[in-house]
Parts: sequence; structure tokens; C-alpha cells
Amino acid sequence: MSDVRWAYAINQWDTNIDSFVRKREHERAFKTVSISGFSGVELTAESFGAWEPLGTPQQLADLYGSVEEFGRFLASCAIDAVSSYVYDPSVGFEVEMGRGPDPLDPAAVEQIVRTARWFADAIRRLGGSVLVVRAAPSAWQTGPLSDDQIGVLATLWNTVGAAIAEDGVTLGLHVDFLSALRLDDGIHRLLAATDADTVGLAIDTAELAIAGIDPVALYRQHADRVVHVQLKDARETVDDAEASTPHAEQFIRTEGGARKILRWFFEPSDERALVDFEGFVGALAEHGYRGWIVVESDQSPHPAESAMVAGWYVQKVLRPILEGTRVSA
Amino acid sequence: MTERPPIKWSYMDHWRANGPAGPYDQWQSKLAMKRFLQQVAAVGFDAIDTFDFRIWQIFEQYGSVANYQEFVQEQGLERIVNTFHGVYYSPDRYAPEVPATHGTILEDFQRTLDMWSGIQLDNIIVMPGSRYFDEAGVPDDGLKHAADIWGKVGELTQQYGVNLTCHHEFYAGIRTRDQIDRFYSYADPRYVKFFVDTAQHCIADVDPVDVYEAHHERVTGFHFKDTRHKDVNDDYRMFPDAEVSATTTEKWFYEMGTDEGLVDFEAMMRSVRDHGYSGWISVEHDKADKLGGDYAESTAISRWYAKNVLDGIYTEEVAR
Repeated sequence: MSDVRWAYAINQWDTNIDSFVRKREHERAFKTVSISGFSGVELTAESFGAWEPLGTPQQLADLYGSVEEFGRFLASCAIDAVSSYVYDPSVGFEVEMGRGPDPLDPAAVEQIVRTARWFADAIRRLGGSVLVVRAAPSAWQTGPLSDDQIGVLATLWNTVGAAIAEDGVTLGLHVDFLSALRLDDGIHRLLAATDADTVGLAIDTAELAIAGIDPVALYRQHADRVVHVQLKDARETVDDAEASTPHAEQFIRTEGGARKILRWFFEPSDERALVDFEGFVGALAEHGYRGWIVVESDQSPHPAESAMVAGWYVQKVLRPILEGTRVSA
Repeated sequence: MTERPPIKWSYMDHWRANGPAGPYDQWQSKLAMKRFLQQVAAVGFDAIDTFDFRIWQIFEQYGSVANYQEFVQEQGLERIVNTFHGVYYSPDRYAPEVPATHGTILEDFQRTLDMWSGIQLDNIIVMPGSRYFDEAGVPDDGLKHAADIWGKVGELTQQYGVNLTCHHEFYAGIRTRDQIDRFYSYADPRYVKFFVDTAQHCIADVDPVDVYEAHHERVTGFHFKDTRHKDVNDDYRMFPDAEVSATTTEKWFYEMGTDEGLVDFEAMMRSVRDHGYSGWISVEHDKADKLGGDYAESTAISRWYAKNVLDGIYTEEVAR
């Protein structure tokens, strides 16, 4: 037996504010995830009221009756839990698609803690264990983070981590390929400045690979801090200069930059590109990783196909590595 | 954990996906085939069925049928179980009701079985009658001629260890319950078997459970698929093929487990169990991509239903 549970991220289905709203669409996605070999789903915090019905605990309750009723709906689709919510503090929930507080503003701590606990409570009630947060603003917004800025972020995440620990939920700092943490050793500096007991690291293989950071090496370096894993693949990298393009979320991530990259993220499969999944999962096994592994495509023209192809790869290749049952060819 | 019943699930290999150049199927490339097979295996199917008109593509891409089956097995599936013999029947050259064409039909099957002899199939599936676009359907003599040639073909296929088995499309000449019963009353049960397609029968207003129970002794396989519509407008008379040319219903077939499905799969599974059927059940949902549908998703949903609903029905009763 393994202490690892496998989930699949729902974000590839929820592509816009007016998609993935019907319960029937949720049901078909959850059943597809379940029969592909996953026992959990990862949700993303979204702000567009009732048109994003999985986006907040309130919307879950509004559509399904209560958070617990949503859990029963998942169970009816043979899904055991919501592994995690992914929350970016710059998203505001007071108004639809609103802007949230700036995590570099020391005065924002209280509001972010309040929101984090809102999600953590739902995660706990849905059988999950991790709140994944966007740990820092984008590189283009801040440039390399100063020691003072690292200190502000450390205070924020120490406070959030301690608060949600009371709900039995662990905090995982997530680093995407546009994050300011990619600059000037930001990941290591922030980890060093935060409380190892309450602030963990979420490794997202594709985001790191695009940023030119080897996820296997990063995991090995911080294995004792890693509380959450997201497995996805990528085929292109983005250097620091490109990541520093003003409004890079729009012009690089969405529009594809000067190279006009149409798709950044891919499901893990035996057609692997930048990410050495077998090496990564081998490292997880070596260090005795316990927790959720969330598989995702993030973007996909064919969500069911992505979940099923990734399911094959997990069942036939990755799980046997993790569980020590792989038979050499 | 639910005990798995003595049933294995095979997927009939209809498939389309969209790529950069538009829609494609799994025969486009080895990569497309690998991804298709991985998806089928990932959701727990044990095997696939196919069409035998793919033979030339198999030779070109894989070298031999055995090589292709090996490729299937490398993706975690056991084997190829059944093949569907797709032929466009025409009274001047190839029609079961026309004795003058029977020599051609026999030669065709001899050639086909030789080409597929590199692997062991369970069934070769045929449409036992031509399409008859008038209300009368196949005349009684035609039923007898068809029964006669399929008996001869079945005797031939059994020399290869393969059953000749008949599949009744809702638009085909042998479609009503009366036609089906008469056809089997004329056909030699040793050589002419029956392949139950739950949706096709349902569309033709034939109860699939009832017709299975009437002929269960010669049933050698199933297509478990669903529909939301019966043919109440004589769509079966539409040329050339009501599955794709009916004007009132643009999509006939849905994966089992679909909402608003007309087939009672739980009753079907109970009947399968009670009649002691064990072995392969094939799942099919051809044209699943119509009206915005998605083959991959339909395949996942159907297998979810088999695992979470139908397997339990089979084993619960056995445990009593």
C-alpha cells in the first residue's frame, strides 16, 4: 500500500465563465476522472458567482445545497474527495472577477487569512488536505524580490499556514512559470524564511520546467517541505526576460508571446517532453512522499482524452514505480 | 470491493478525435492508435473489437494482423475479440437473399478468414440481410436464402474457430421481431449465431431483453449501447443508411449510462446472468461525436457504468 492518493485537476474542463456550469457536465467529468483511476479532484478558486459553481464554497452550496451535498454528489460518481483548492490571493471574491489584495501589502494578511480559511474549511469537509496558493506576484510586477518583500510574504504565509493548520489543512506554496520567485533564488529564500511546520511547497512539474527549473532537483533539495504534487508536462521554456514582459499573463501565457505558443501544458504521458516523470516519481518513492499527487493537463482541447491518457500512464508506469511493483521490460 | 463477474468488457473501436488538421481516427498514425488504445485500457476495458475492412491499413501500418494485436497488447489490452464484416449489399453482386451471389459471398469469407488467421477471433459479425427500403422488408424466400448462405458461411468460419454471428440494424431488411424470429427458425443453430445490439433492437421497437431470452442459446455476443429515440417515422427507409441520413434524428446512439436512455441495461444484465452467459460483452457507441459528443468521454462513461452498476448486478445475484 502507498500513502499517496491520486487526483485529477478539473481546470481543463472549466475553460470559461459560461462553461462547465451544469451538474451533468460535472457528473460526466467526475465519472471520467474516477474510471480513469483517480480518487480525488482538485478545484480552482474562481470568482464569477453562480457561473463558476465549483469556484467557492458558497457556490458549491448554492448549486448543490451544501458543501456536504456536493461531497455526496462526488461520492455518487465514485470520487472520494476534493484533494485541494488552488487559490490565488490576487483574485477577489467581493465582486465577480474582482481583484484581491496584494500579498506584498503587509495590511493584506487578515483578508487573505480569512479567505484561505474559507477554502480550507471546505477542503476539510470534502475529505481533502491541501490549500495550494500562488505564493508571489508575477516577475514582471516586482522584478527580483527584495529581502524585505520575502519577509512580507513569509509573514503572510506563516500566518495563513498556522491558521489553516487549525482546520487540519496544509499550506502548499505554488510557483508558476511567471512567478517572481523564479528570479534570484526566490523559492529557496522564501522557504528558508517560512515555518517548516506550517508552510510547505507544492511542486508543479510543468510550471517549473517552463521556468527552466528542474522539478526533480528541486524536489530532492526540498523533499522535507513538499506537501503537494501536481504532475503535468510542457514542451517550451520561458526565460527570465520573457517572463518579465509587462502583463505576461496576457501576452505570454494566454497569447503565446512572440513564438505564438498555442498550448503550454500537456497531460503526463509516455510521450513526455520536458518533464522526466519517471525520474520525478522515483524521487518521490525514494523520499517516502505521502500525500496527494494531482495529475493535470491544465489546458486541453480534449479533456476526457487527456484524463484517460494520463490515467493509463499513472496506472501502467508511475504507480508501479511509486509502489515498487514495476517490472522491468 | 465488488467481486468482478465472469464477464469481460471489449470496446468496439469506433473513434474520432479532433486534431490540428480536423477530425481524425485512430488509424491516422501509430501515435493516434496508441493514444486510442491507452484510453480504452485506462478505463478498464479488457480488449477491443474491430472492423475487418481495416485489413489493408493493418498490413500497411503494422505488417500483419498478429503484429497489430501485439501493438494492442503492448497498451495493456488482452486481444482483439470480434470483427465486424462491413459490406455494402447489392442484389447484382452481393446479397444474402439472392442465391446467384452466394458463391461470391463464400469466396469473400474464405479470403477474409485467411487474412485474419494470424489471430484467433471469437466472432465475425454480419448484417444478415440487405437493406429493404419498402415496408414489406425481406420476403420470406429471401429470409430462407439468407439463412441458407449464412449456414454455409458459419460452417466455413467454424473451421477457423470463429463464430458467424448476426447483427440486426434498425434500418436493415431483417429488423422486426417477426423477421428476426423467422430468420432464426430457418437458420441452422450450429452455424448461425446471434449478436444482440441493445440500441438497434430498441430503435426498431424490438425489446432487446425479450429477443435475447427467445434466442439466448445461439447468442455469442452483445453490443451494449443506448439510444434516446425509437424509429417512429419510418426513418429506416432512408437511403443510404438511416444511421447517418435520417432527417428527424441526427444522433441515434449514446453510450450506456446516458441520461434518458431507453435501454434497460439492468434488466439486460440480469437476463445475461440468469441465462448463464459468461465471457465477452462489447460496448459500442458509434457516431458518439454527433451533436457535440465526444468518443473519449462516452467511452469513459460507459465503462464507469459497467463497473459501478452492471458488474454489481451480476455478482450480487451470484452471491445469494
